[in-house]
Amino acid sequence: MRSVAIVGTGQTDHSRRRTDVTQVGLAREAVVRALQDADLTMDDIDSVVVCTGPVLFAAVNQPEKWLADAIGARYKPVVRVTSGGGTGLAGALAAVNQVKAGIAERVLVVAYDKLSEGALQYSISTLYDPFWGREFAVGIMGFSAAYWRARMDSLGHTEEAAAMVAVKNRKNALLNPYAHVKKPVTVEDVLNSKPLCWPIKLMDVPPISDGACAVVLASEDAAKKSSRPAAWIRGMSYVSEAENAPNRSMIQSEPLTIAAQKVYKQAGITNPRRQFDVVEVQEPYTCFELSYYEGLGLCEPGGAAELIKSGATEMDGDIPVNPSGGCMGANPIGATALIRLAEIADQVRGQSGDHQIHGAQWGLMQAGGGWANLRGVAAVSSEKG
Amino acid sequence: MTTGLNTPPGVSQKLAATIGLPYTLTTGKAVGSTITALASKRLTGSYCSDCQRTNVPAQDYCVGCGGEMSLIEAADTGTITAATTTPEHTLLLVQIDGASSPLLHRLVGPAEGAVPGVRVRAVWADETKALFLDLEGFEVADSEAAASSPVDTTVDDAMKEMPYRLDLDYQHSYGPYYGRLFDELAHHRRLVGSPCPQCHQVMVPPRERCDVCFARTTRLVEVQDTGTLQAFSIVHLEFVGQTRTPPYVYAEVVLDGSSTRLIHVLGGFEIEKARDLTIGMPVRAVWKDASQAQGTLADIEYFEPVV
Ligand SMILES: [Zn+2]
Ligand SMILES: [Zn+2]
Repeated sequence: MRSVAIVGTGQTDHSRRRTDVTQVGLAREAVVRALQDADLTMDDIDSVVVCTGPVLFAAVNQPEKWLADAIGARYKPVVRVTSGGGTGLAGALAAVNQVKAGIAERVLVVAYDKLSEGALQYSISTLYDPFWGREFAVGIMGFSAAYWRARMDSLGHTEEAAAMVAVKNRKNALLNPYAHVKKPVTVEDVLNSKPLCWPIKLMDVPPISDGACAVVLASEDAAKKSSRPAAWIRGMSYVSEAENAPNRSMIQSEPLTIAAQKVYKQAGITNPRRQFDVVEVQEPYTCFELSYYEGLGLCEPGGAAELIKSGATEMDGDIPVNPSGGCMGANPIGATALIRLAEIADQVRGQSGDHQIHGAQWGLMQAGGGWANLRGVAAVSSEKG
Repeated sequence: MTTGLNTPPGVSQKLAATIGLPYTLTTGKAVGSTITALASKRLTGSYCSDCQRTNVPAQDYCVGCGGEMSLIEAADTGTITAATTTPEHTLLLVQIDGASSPLLHRLVGPAEGAVPGVRVRAVWADETKALFLDLEGFEVADSEAAASSPVDTTVDDAMKEMPYRLDLDYQHSYGPYYGRLFDELAHHRRLVGSPCPQCHQVMVPPRERCDVCFARTTRLVEVQDTGTLQAFSIVHLEFVGQTRTPPYVYAEVVLDGSSTRLIHVLGGFEIEKARDLTIGMPVRAVWKDASQAQGTLADIEYFEPVV
């Protein structure tokens, strides 16, 4: 199988609302920066994958058509991939497969959402069955809060443990130039913040953002021509669950466990906690990050609260998680998963600036949609393997 | 109770539903400047010096090379390249003088003679409102083709945002499984599920195939309107499209006799006590008065804890 590398990444100046650009202008900004980072032009790109959240987020159907014009991609293959919060990673996997299959040497993945344009929670509620449950739906928040409450009983994912995730990620975001929320908080601040869907409180929740990310994936031959360091994709997987299947406990995410095991097998990882130098996860709310620790095998099931408390996932811990600040710094949903991939790639490329984990060679990232039902994992390394 | 799948005649086969969403769209520089300039009866285009391409109306990025375009003042005369007549209008593609591609608009005045190759001129609204229809359309008018000499223009205070709405009406077909489910709900106040012949799990709402072993289900069984609280949260958040007033309790309940989760709300207690609810506690449906029954899940007012 052909090796695939990330040779360029770009992010927009994320913001709560960008009034200076349209949706496609936003996406284009990330593309221009990724091509600059890769020292390439659109002429070097064989194929484009566009990733966005549900079209109801911003009222434009088939936005990839509009975007193809704005980035000079006419006469190139262009497809759009959408998969909730995991959209950017699902798109990256589609691009990786194009390179692996030998049908493209370089693929541009661009992911974006301009969430300030529409009504977010209501748009998400339209993911529910119109006959059965939509009218009771509270976006993704009511549902996530409900199963976090259930995990408190069975896994000890307390409000305090989740608050520590907020404290850590918001602190790390201070070092990330692309984070638009830069406000350190304490555990008490989080616990005393306004309940939105209890147990989820205001400070457990990332911002709603306008933002985009772009990544250039290349074959081994194409990557060799690049003067910049590459991040090699050592494993990537994206797995789904039947949403309304019988006997779903929602306590652990089976798709996450399956995706992680597949990726570890591809990458030859036997002890993720020891072998990875840095981790980026997509946490729509703080409680999610606790669950990922367990699903990714960074600790035993039920061990997440202890892990965050130990400080191991801090910047200076043995397994730093979200040195970028994760979603707490910026959360343009359709782009968020690709931002995690770009961030982890930049870590092993040594390009993370102030939030660089010194000497990082192996990186792990996770992203997904829904509470437990769509989960993706990728491992990257500075070595091709 | 065991029931078949025959839907009685005369029962509605469709559920009408509307998704209504408000938006604030960002126009971008080209569209914002174009609309703002239309209010002073000027047409704006954009120009790419690399491709020597002119777009009217203006676009931010060049379709030829993806580069940023500069804004220019466009001519208000052009040539029809295509025309079609609908019951309300004659629609035109007009190649504005100097433009590289045509603009879609409508004819003002009689349709006779509005054929490809004929010259037209912009017709402006008497009172402009900074909307695209400040340019009412084009009328047939002889004129020399204007010289194409791009002049950079910038519009001060260009529009940046624009309110917008989507109201989308749907007619969802029930199909036999959902049809029978809601008939039972409306007429008998009972809930039905479909058992899997292979793994024997009972799925609510009923469905044709088991999600786990993909075996085909063949019958419906009644499930209880009592169950177990699998998860809950207390909703304080207010959002567009919400169907009840916060605070209230979102709940996922597994009904007795079923193996799947049902999404609803909990009630029958003081909201201040909601944090004392426990996962796994028994709950039961509190039904609305029969006169209010509509054959939807909302016929159940809420689930209440059984004490
Ligand atoms: Zn051009
Ligand atoms: Zn089955």
